[in-house]
Amino acid sequence: MPDLAVFQDAFAEALLAPEPHGRLARAPGFAVYRNTCAHGIVEALRAAFPTVGCLLGEEGFTGAALAFRDAQPPASPILSRYGSGFAGFLARQPWTSGLPYLADVALLDWLWLDAHLAADRAARRAPGVGADCFQPLRLTLHPAARFAWLDSPAVTIWLAHRCPGGFEELAPEWRPEGALVTRAGGGAMLQPIGRAEHRLLAAVAAGAPVRSLERAVGAGADLPTLIARLIACGALLPV
Amino acid sequence: MVPTAGLSFRPVHFGAALAAPAVGLWFEVHAENYMVAGGPRLAMLEALRREKPLSLHGVGLSLAGADDPDAEHLAALRALCRRFEPFLVSEHLAWSRSGGVAFPDLLPFPRSTEALHRVARNIDIAQHALGRQILIENPSLYLALDGHAWSETDFLAELVRRTGCRLLVDVNNVFVSARNLGFAPEAYLDALPVEAIGEIHLAGHKPDPVHGAALLIDSHDAPVAEAVWDLYARLLGRMAPLPAPTLIERDGDIPSFDVLMAERNRAASLMRHPGKVPAHA
Repeated sequence: MPDLAVFQDAFAEALLAPEPHGRLARAPGFAVYRNTCAHGIVEALRAAFPTVGCLLGEEGFTGAALAFRDAQPPASPILSRYGSGFAGFLARQPWTSGLPYLADVALLDWLWLDAHLAADRAARRAPGVGADCFQPLRLTLHPAARFAWLDSPAVTIWLAHRCPGGFEELAPEWRPEGALVTRAGGGAMLQPIGRAEHRLLAAVAAGAPVRSLERAVGAGADLPTLIARLIACGALLPV
Repeated sequence: MVPTAGLSFRPVHFGAALAAPAVGLWFEVHAENYMVAGGPRLAMLEALRREKPLSLHGVGLSLAGADDPDAEHLAALRALCRRFEPFLVSEHLAWSRSGGVAFPDLLPFPRSTEALHRVARNIDIAQHALGRQILIENPSLYLALDGHAWSETDFLAELVRRTGCRLLVDVNNVFVSARNLGFAPEAYLDALPVEAIGEIHLAGHKPDPVHGAALLIDSHDAPVAEAVWDLYARLLGRMAPLPAPTLIERDGDIPSFDVLMAERNRAASLMRHPGKVPAHA
């Protein structure tokens, strides 16, 4: 193996080691590289998961971020796309059992960021029809739309932490909640959605034709109104 | 408009940056921050680019890595170059990827002849893929490594000769490395091939919290130090009458736009009158 590769393998191993040893690791300058690497990763995660940061506090988040770095170090230098596995990682940590909504909140942070950085596509306005009689031939999901159905009231918790206003009295009822993130105007926006909207979005995302949506959404739902609302907020595109 | 002195672009300063009337003002961004599919971040940079010249500064190509530059990353950089038509594209004399892990840092290596061949080959690959010349920046160094066959200035000059790349001289990095490794920064600047210098960086540094002034950190979170301004004036003196576009780099503890512009204007003034002792801001 060429010397350069041997040197870099050893250096990289020492950067990732919990307790690096050897002559290299003893030099004060080596700690600068270790600290810069750790700091870059932790701060990238803190920027991507601000609500998890709120819930865990600065020190708690740093610990969780370093543990995630050890388990899944970044494979790409594009750090704004690092952290796709963070929610799943948190869900598997024994210490999060006392915070059963934490992984769902992390997922919402990720969906918000994912929508924020997703591809652009201008929603075309429906051609001169009212919401009540609008029946597009086909619907697709906007490339910047993200949605999820969660077992915890994470949407209520997320919104309380991300929107200005007090949440000291926050004691949400423990029930499943749905979330939709869209980027209709400038930045990404997260809103709660119900079961029917989630079923509709999931069916469209799976490529279901419009004629089958009635069955997908279930009895009792006002399909034209749901479709019109999801088009208006930029989640769905009529094509 | 000929770009003179520029600033790192901070989204918090978007409005002020767009409206700033300073002649020759330009902006630089880290290319990796804009390697995303779409959204307001790219829209903001597009709006800025319509008004001001832009430089793309890469931190992730790992040109001193033992492997070829990552093809996917290079393609993303090429796409950004096509979209934003930057007047400068730069990268570092450093590596940041190994064994499938990307380290968010600019890591050192022994400047052996083997490394020279490798880095020259990687710059060739990058310049070929991008279809343009790139600038290579001297990194800040913290470790005295064994195995150097080349001084950094000779290594850089040889890369210029072999690949046709140009140099981005970070004067603060020269100052920080000189202090940390114990060499004279003036001698370093005097040894650089001035005709190859296409851009200059100026930034602030901080003493290490544990080791103090014996170990300086290239922190980019403070004003440019007076000693670095003096070195900058010396370098401009060597380059006269042709200064290179100069960037005030600031990545942390961001002050107001006006404070950054004052530093930027000081650099622009020195570029016009390289012989004069800089007025302390």
